Amino acid sequence: MHKRWNDVSSVFIRIICLLIFAVLVAGCTTSPPTNIPPATTVAVQPTTMTLVSTPVPTTAVPVKTTAASVTATPITSYTPSEKTLIVYTAASLTGASKELGTRFSATYPGHTVVFNLEGTQALKTQVENGAYADVFISASNSYTNTLKSEGYFINSTVKPLTTNYVIVILPASNPGNIQSLSDLAKPGKKIAMAAYNVPIGTASYTALANLAKSTYGQDWNKSVFSNVVSYEMSEPGVATKVSLGEVDAGLVYESTYASAPAMTLTSISIPKTDNYLQTYTMGVMKQTEDSGVAQEFEDFMLSSVGQQILRNYGFRSVS
Amino acid sequence: MTRPFLLQKKVRRTLTVIGAAILIISVTIYLALPVVALFFRTTPELFISSLSDPVVQSALHLSLITSFISLGIVIIVGTPFAYVHCRNTYPGKMVVDTLIDLPLVLPPAVAGLALLVLYGRVGFIGSYLNMFGITLAFTTLAVIMAQIFVASPFYLRQAKSLFEQLDPSYEQTARTLGASPLRILTTITIPLTASGLVSGAVMTFGRALGEFGATIMFAGNLSGVTQTMPLAVYVGMEGDFNVGLTISILLVLISFSIMIAMRFLASREVKHA
Repeated sequence: MHKRWNDVSSVFIRIICLLIFAVLVAGCTTSPPTNIPPATTVAVQPTTMTLVSTPVPTTAVPVKTTAASVTATPITSYTPSEKTLIVYTAASLTGASKELGTRFSATYPGHTVVFNLEGTQALKTQVENGAYADVFISASNSYTNTLKSEGYFINSTVKPLTTNYVIVILPASNPGNIQSLSDLAKPGKKIAMAAYNVPIGTASYTALANLAKSTYGQDWNKSVFSNVVSYEMSEPGVATKVSLGEVDAGLVYESTYASAPAMTLTSISIPKTDNYLQTYTMGVMKQTEDSGVAQEFEDFMLSSVGQQILRNYGFRSVS
Repeated sequence: MTRPFLLQKKVRRTLTVIGAAILIISVTIYLALPVVALFFRTTPELFISSLSDPVVQSALHLSLITSFISLGIVIIVGTPFAYVHCRNTYPGKMVVDTLIDLPLVLPPAVAGLALLVLYGRVGFIGSYLNMFGITLAFTTLAVIMAQIFVASPFYLRQAKSLFEQLDPSYEQTARTLGASPLRILTTITIPLTASGLVSGAVMTFGRALGEFGATIMFAGNLSGVTQTMPLAVYVGMEGDFNVGLTISILLVLISFSIMIAMRFLASREVKHA
């Protein structure tokens, strides 16, 4: 009898503990309801977590989608309605996306925007495999051209949206004591970069190659690459590793540094003559069921309001 | 007495058989078709030529080595642990029991972040290790640590339940004959539970081989050092689709052959008295 009571209560207590743990874990992995941004990531691939250096941490561990802040109710499927636009957006616009969504909904009442934020290469793969998007914002001209030639865009709507330079960011405490670009090649430093197929990745490699050619030499370039400890799959991935202090330096867009919370990052800028200017393009997809609203969104992004929001987040205007 | 509506026995029999067949076929198709589709998306020539790609080879090499090491550590440490855990009552046993199951519930990316927060350069333990020049994050060791963390529950739970269900009279008899606990473990407990332990090991190996979220968070993504096959699939899917496809097929082939080999080994079971 004594033994049986122990069994029952121990099972009971064990279940309660597991439930509490599960609730804690769930609570830590969902964003707080008051701060649901319209920016979400759709996990088509295995679960990845992207922590952005913005005040609102968003994690994409389970597939969770939320509509823009007008209605904070989660939508569980991407059935396009008259009022919801699905915008596939390069991940570097994560910080700006919340405000862009809110202002668009305010300017065009009744319309909401859901952003799918991932590396442009991931979005391109999804679209090529049948994913539905109304608008596509690409961080890479070559990916835009590929999608154009494959017939996914309404070509007349493809327009340059904004531009961005590459910058080197360091954790605020600068654990690697990196004072200049030449310090990046010092042995033992840890650098994070994006992979070759991520637009910021190709931009970083080009900027480094330019720097090597003009100032620091090929040995410097080789040493920098031997210091790389991780090739991330999106730009926020690089920013996360740096802001966590786990690497000494990372190469990201200037906009990420400009919109990072105060005191988390410092930076070393790359001279404009060596830097790579990334041009973001935006276009309406042929498959859209909402071409009117999609065009309105594109007009909004290209208008002075949209462009000003982008500038506030550190993006540059199209020259 | 009799039910108001009663089909003939033959009809009922046939319906049952048809129902069972539908169930089996639909489950089999749902599990098998995606895997088969992988093979049909590429051609044998493309597959063979992709095999010589250095990315594929280093990912394959790294994945197999780290998974085997992780499995080895889990078995060597986990078996005595499960045995001691089952045969004794100690304060906090329930907590440990729940903790064993924890990595199953925890999303892998959360596990990776947790490992990074603890063992990373500015982590609670990692900062002390860093003072002695020991780095854990972004190394191959980090890959192994992540794999052990997420895959160990499979083996530990299996070992635990096997040891608990084992008839204690065998061990008690051995004890009366003067055998030490270690000798009992190696000569009686393990041989009797071997087939179950092997299936737990297979699951652990499969889980370690397929680990992605914790690896990319804690160990990073660097070809030859930390880029395991799942990471290479992810990179390849968005860059070089053929490489991604090749590695996926390789993973399927490896998983199948491991399972078949394990089943063959496990079939040689020690029969009970």
